[in-house]
Amino acid sequence: MNEGTLNLLVGLAMGLNLLALGSSRLPALIRTVAAQGVVLGVMPLLIEHETLDWRVAAVAMATIAGKGVVIPWLLRRAMRAANIEREIEPFVGYVPSLLLGAGGTIAAVGLARALPLLPEHSGSLLVPGAMASVLTGFLLLIGRVKAISQVCGYLILENGIYLFGLLLIHSTPLLVESGILLDVTVGVFVIGIIVDRIQRAFDSLDTRKLTTLRE
Amino acid sequence: MNPGPFLLLALLALAAGVVGGPRFPRAWLGVSLTASLAGLAAALGVLLGAPDWEWRGVWRLGGEAIHLRLDGVSALFLVLLSLVSGLGALYAREYWPDAENPSSAPRGRAWWSVLTLSMGLVLLAANGLHFLIAWELFAVSAFFLITLDARGRATRAAGWLYLAASHAGTLVLFAFFGLLAARTGSWDLGPMRDQPALASLLWLALVGFGVKAGVFPLHIWLPSAHANAPSHVSALMSGVAIKMGIYGLVRFSGWLPAPRGAAWALMGFGAASAVLGIVFALAQSDLKRLLAYCSVENVGLIAAGLGGALLAGAGNEAAGGNLLLAGALLHVWNHGAFKALLFFGAGAVLHATGTREVNRLGGLWRAMPWTASLFALGSLAVAGLPPLNGFVSEWLIYLGLFDAAASRGEAAGPAGLTAILIATAGALALATFIKASALVFLGAGRTPATRHAHECGALMRGPMLFLGATCVFLGLGPLGVWPAIARAAASWGGALSPVGEPPVALAMLGRAQRVLAVAAVVVGGALWHRVHSGRHRRGVTWDCGYAAPTARMQYVSGSFAGIVSGWFTWILRPARTLRRPRGLFPAKAFHLERVPETVLERVLGPVAAVFVRASNAVRRLQHGRLSFYILYVAAGLVAVGMFVWVGSLR
Repeated sequence: MNEGTLNLLVGLAMGLNLLALGSSRLPALIRTVAAQGVVLGVMPLLIEHETLDWRVAAVAMATIAGKGVVIPWLLRRAMRAANIEREIEPFVGYVPSLLLGAGGTIAAVGLARALPLLPEHSGSLLVPGAMASVLTGFLLLIGRVKAISQVCGYLILENGIYLFGLLLIHSTPLLVESGILLDVTVGVFVIGIIVDRIQRAFDSLDTRKLTTLRE
Repeated sequence: MNPGPFLLLALLALAAGVVGGPRFPRAWLGVSLTASLAGLAAALGVLLGAPDWEWRGVWRLGGEAIHLRLDGVSALFLVLLSLVSGLGALYAREYWPDAENPSSAPRGRAWWSVLTLSMGLVLLAANGLHFLIAWELFAVSAFFLITLDARGRATRAAGWLYLAASHAGTLVLFAFFGLLAARTGSWDLGPMRDQPALASLLWLALVGFGVKAGVFPLHIWLPSAHANAPSHVSALMSGVAIKMGIYGLVRFSGWLPAPRGAAWALMGFGAASAVLGIVFALAQSDLKRLLAYCSVENVGLIAAGLGGALLAGAGNEAAGGNLLLAGALLHVWNHGAFKALLFFGAGAVLHATGTREVNRLGGLWRAMPWTASLFALGSLAVAGLPPLNGFVSEWLIYLGLFDAAASRGEAAGPAGLTAILIATAGALALATFIKASALVFLGAGRTPATRHAHECGALMRGPMLFLGATCVFLGLGPLGVWPAIARAAASWGGALSPVGEPPVALAMLGRAQRVLAVAAVVVGGALWHRVHSGRHRRGVTWDCGYAAPTARMQYVSGSFAGIVSGWFTWILRPARTLRRPRGLFPAKAFHLERVPETVLERVLGPVAAVFVRASNAVRRLQHGRLSFYILYVAAGLVAVGMFVWVGSLR
């Protein structure tokens, strides 16, 4: 029963990926990322069905708090400070992004079948979900020009890595998990400050204009 | 006599020189001379019969116990180092005074002590790791001395070129010492001729030490570095520093089993350096650059002698081999003495006139008689004319080569060819130094730069006089230095047996040289007397019928060297710009000629340009657009994934 619920949640996360690729408004994008963070945060509780130990619970709580609340809040603050609402002219348009994302998701499912997985993982959607999220993150990073959209891409990329990590949740020390989460939070915090500074200095958040300091 | 206390004294004195040199110039001179005398005492003690000195410390550096050794070969080089560094310190006091160089002179004193100390440690180190450390320190301190006056663009370029070439050589030496330690299981250095597996490593040593020694075509750094360094530094670099490369070659060709190919290479490249080095020297018009190229020639001579000795040792022709080895080792001293003398002389000219360009000089013998005479003496010595010291060592090398040529062994033909090449180089050296001395000191001054020339003071003249006397002594009494050379040859450790009794040829040569010297003095005195007896009418030189000749209508460097450079245009590749006088009243005409450093500018330069172009093409990927960078990462990830996937399918 847990297996089915877990797959349902991973499927939900994959759907949210496509939603992120298709949304042009930044608040919608941030909301999507937050929702994905909450979905991901619930997953460890479902995997650990025999005994609910405090470690897994702590990871789940921290993930939901970090990805679902703190990071979206930071992003929204940065967005308000920078005073922008939408991504006007992306490198890769929304329809092509969606097509690429969908194609990537299908390819990820196909590739996961070809991989030599452990028998207990072969029925789960975790691996294709992880690959699809990484791919979506890359697409957002490459295809968007506004710094905040790129941060969202980075977060989705990190979510994909987190999904991979769920396969190993019993063997990964708590310290590593919390370290990763802390890194991501601090990273977003710093980017939030930088976005504000870029906006003030250049009156734009277009990363295409930030090419002078290339060497 | 135990050399240990003397070496300790030298070490302490040099350390004091490094620390206190910048502040206290007088005290620095004192400790430098003390270090020189102590080093000289230690080295001469070993050369004149004391047993090898060996010391193992309890301290560790880089995990290895400190292990020093002073044997015949290191002592031979230590004599040269002590002598030239002491004289150079004396010379620098007048040549590079604090009053004119307030920032660079104090710095120069400290680096001078570091350089001397590190070269001494290279000679003493009996541990591969410590040898490398000392070698690196030596290379870096020499860089800071070359660029002592870093205001000139040419000096900075020369310094960087030196540093780059030097490190390329050091890289090869790292491979050499690393492999040596890996194959023998220890960093300790010593005779290892009984391990044939090490033979191939000698090739690495040839390249690594060849760069430092300046064997053609690895000499690219040498001309510009020696020309642009301050003259006392040039003297130390040319007289001693490049000999450290020779030291490495001598040391490891004696300690390692020598493959035949390496001996052939040493002889072949040595002979090639001898000829090409002096050809390039002849074509130069920069006095110090000319001297630098001449060092390439002399290094080639030493390398050819060493290669011949290795071949003779392998072919069981001990007599010829001993002569070659003795000639090569003696030439290390001889070249150190006369090249330091010539660089000191060139420094005196530069100091007096402010230019190294011989086409701007002329007629300086009136203003600088001491410098002119001593430079002429050095020129005779470097050209290998009897009765001076250059002839003695070249004579030994010739005899050894003739021995090999007459032996009908496999080395007979190449040995004969090498002898011919070296003789050619000798003839060209004579032409080169006649040109250099004549253009600088004879004739009339070509430009106003020569008008205010003045003789150098006692502190610059003293070292030159000392070196000139050394050249004369080594030339007239070759038997006197024979025990030292024999001692060094005995501890070489090659296949040759220790050289015992002095060869008969040397005793005869000494007598002939003395007779010749007396004859030269008598003839010279008679000529001088005739000229000054007043029976001759003085008139102007025949002026070719020009109504108003000027001093600029004299032969220049290019005209002296024209014919010989014409034979060697295939390697010299001179860049010429000619504008002939046209019409009845020609307004302007000129002939410019510049001889490039062929290996550097025509071979390495184009190769480097290809690399730069390729790198510039790759740099376009670095455009600053973040999205594309992430695309690169994604593409790289996919590529790695494909690679692994395809690999797993196989």
